Amino acid sequence: MGKYFIRRFLGLLPTLFVIITISFFMIRLAPGGPFDEEKAVPQEILVNIEKKYHMDEPIVMQYGRYLLDILRGDLGPSFRYPDHDVNFFIVSSLPTSLLLGSMSMGLALFLGIGSGILCAVRQNTWVDYFFMSIAVMGISIPLFVIGPVLMYFFALKMHWLPTSGWVDSRAGWITVLMPVVTLASYYFAYLARLSRASIIETLRSDYVRTARAKGLSGPVIMFKHVLKGAMLPVVSYLGPAFAAIMTGSVVVEQIFRVPGLGKFFVQSAFNRDYTLIMGTVIVYSIILIIMNFIVDIVYSFLDPRITYK
Amino acid sequence: MTDITPNGITPLPPEKKDIEFTSDSWRPIRESRNVKEGTNEFNQAIEGISLNQEAWRRLKKNKMAIGGLYVIIFYALICLSAPILPIHSYKKIILDHQYLPPSLTKTAGDLVYEKKEFRLKRIAQKQGRNFLNDAEKTQLAELRRTIETETMVIDGKTIKTYERQYFLGTDYHGRDMLSRIIYGGQVSIAIGLVGTFTSVLIGIIIGSISGFLGGKIDYFVMRFVDIMYGLPYILIVIIFMALFGQHILNLFFAIALVSWLNVARVVRGQVISLKNSDFVEAARSIGASSRRIIFKHMVPNTFGIIIVFASLEIPHFIMIEAFLSFLGLGISAPFASWGSLVGDAVEGMALYPWRLFFPSLAMVIFLFSMNFLGDGLRDALDPKSKNRL
Repeated sequence: MGKYFIRRFLGLLPTLFVIITISFFMIRLAPGGPFDEEKAVPQEILVNIEKKYHMDEPIVMQYGRYLLDILRGDLGPSFRYPDHDVNFFIVSSLPTSLLLGSMSMGLALFLGIGSGILCAVRQNTWVDYFFMSIAVMGISIPLFVIGPVLMYFFALKMHWLPTSGWVDSRAGWITVLMPVVTLASYYFAYLARLSRASIIETLRSDYVRTARAKGLSGPVIMFKHVLKGAMLPVVSYLGPAFAAIMTGSVVVEQIFRVPGLGKFFVQSAFNRDYTLIMGTVIVYSIILIIMNFIVDIVYSFLDPRITYK
Repeated sequence: MTDITPNGITPLPPEKKDIEFTSDSWRPIRESRNVKEGTNEFNQAIEGISLNQEAWRRLKKNKMAIGGLYVIIFYALICLSAPILPIHSYKKIILDHQYLPPSLTKTAGDLVYEKKEFRLKRIAQKQGRNFLNDAEKTQLAELRRTIETETMVIDGKTIKTYERQYFLGTDYHGRDMLSRIIYGGQVSIAIGLVGTFTSVLIGIIIGSISGFLGGKIDYFVMRFVDIMYGLPYILIVIIFMALFGQHILNLFFAIALVSWLNVARVVRGQVISLKNSDFVEAARSIGASSRRIIFKHMVPNTFGIIIVFASLEIPHFIMIEAFLSFLGLGISAPFASWGSLVGDAVEGMALYPWRLFFPSLAMVIFLFSMNFLGDGLRDALDPKSKNRL
């Protein structure tokens, strides 16, 4: 079994390699460069700057050099902010993004699966209709609409919540409320629908009927028998959900001025800050790949039909 | 009422007498009974119910889906007829009409005058007066005169500038929100359609060929799809747009680049399951080429699933485009899309909330309807679907 996981893990490396390669060459192919200024820089200075960052070498050499640097764990110096390494930006802003992402995912999972169970058990009652209409709304309303609208009512009109900021600001932990709710809304809705449908299907299966026939109580059937089977589609959705939470957090961080990695992501692409773009892409990809790996493992634990070879 | 079999054929009452076999019995039934074309052997008109008609009947029963369909048709009509609708230009900038609130009855002149009067009264209040002084009164009178007299030329017609009406208010440049929302809808819906169409086209071609040929080609294509699938593709689209500029063609390209994967997977699965069916065997036995088998026999059989997929993919593309435009990476001014309108409105939304609410509402209603229609189509066309929610 250990072997299986190691092989799965090694299988993820090509994906990372493809991401790095595609982004590296796409960035270099784009018009404009990191040292384009409004005011033209004298030729000699430009040559020196390019030499400092090894930009004068052929692109394949640069690519090889970059790969070696990454293997050493060094993402290089930022081209736009010469005093800082890319590593510095990532170390200082990644925890914020991770906190935002994991809180949203946690909220979405908890509320989504919770209301899914509730709706499945009380199918076609007002509870079911209520949560399912909320879920349809969550799926149809993009988060960049939910975010500003929440901000308008709760921060600007009611003054209940601060408009922006993060946990280290004066307002403290209450600042996380709106970003987390905004980011979680879509995934809550999707998970609620998914788990409801899946639980309803499982409730009709033979082994659940057998469990009922044995005289087990409702909660025991639900939590010991139904949930394990019904969670399979939910778990397999988590991989894409993590990816989407990450991209969503780029927007949410912008709306609520959260000092996370997302800010650097869009900005660095505009600035042509080659190393910073690459750095953020690599970090995001690694998170995504690890999450997919964990999802795979959880899936194989839940599904007895999967065997390890 | 007679029973009606699934084919729509009314069965005859059973014949009482024993069947007598004559030489006639062995002739084809149509010939022996003088049956006309388009009728069954009893000369009754055939009213077969095709799978599509069956699906349509199921769809019609779903009230939410039909409601969604009507809303979508309404949107399509409005957006297509935008050039002939009596609305203002979506890009005409009138700076004097900046940030006018929505109003169904008042003209721009009234609103500008009210705004000015309100501001002057507030200044007066701050200075501890209950009335306007003479200088302020002349200012208002001057404004009134300008409102009554100023004209401008639009499309060769001279009109009174301040008699314009903005039902949904105006934006930072004094552009009409109503027409920006309508033209933005054109762009958003077009992107949804074009994106879906391209992704479906590429997906059908790659998926069907890969599934039909199988073997090494299939293996490599699917490995490639798997790797692409693992990419954080929206991130790559964001970089792509930021690097190569916010041209609408770039937007199409970036979206099409990554969106065919799902279709390719679905079509491949269908093709593999159809590959060993009898009708494909039959086509092969009469010498049909692989290309003909794929595109004439197998692809049409995947249309049901593809329609379902496409209807759920359109809102997805609209969201991606809106997402990019919101970040400032999509459509740029003077053009608009729902996403860019919402994105522009975030700044200053405390003072000018109508700029946020109307485009949001327009987009959300459309996405709602698309989702309802998509769900309905899935239930109707693909009733055994495993992906039902």
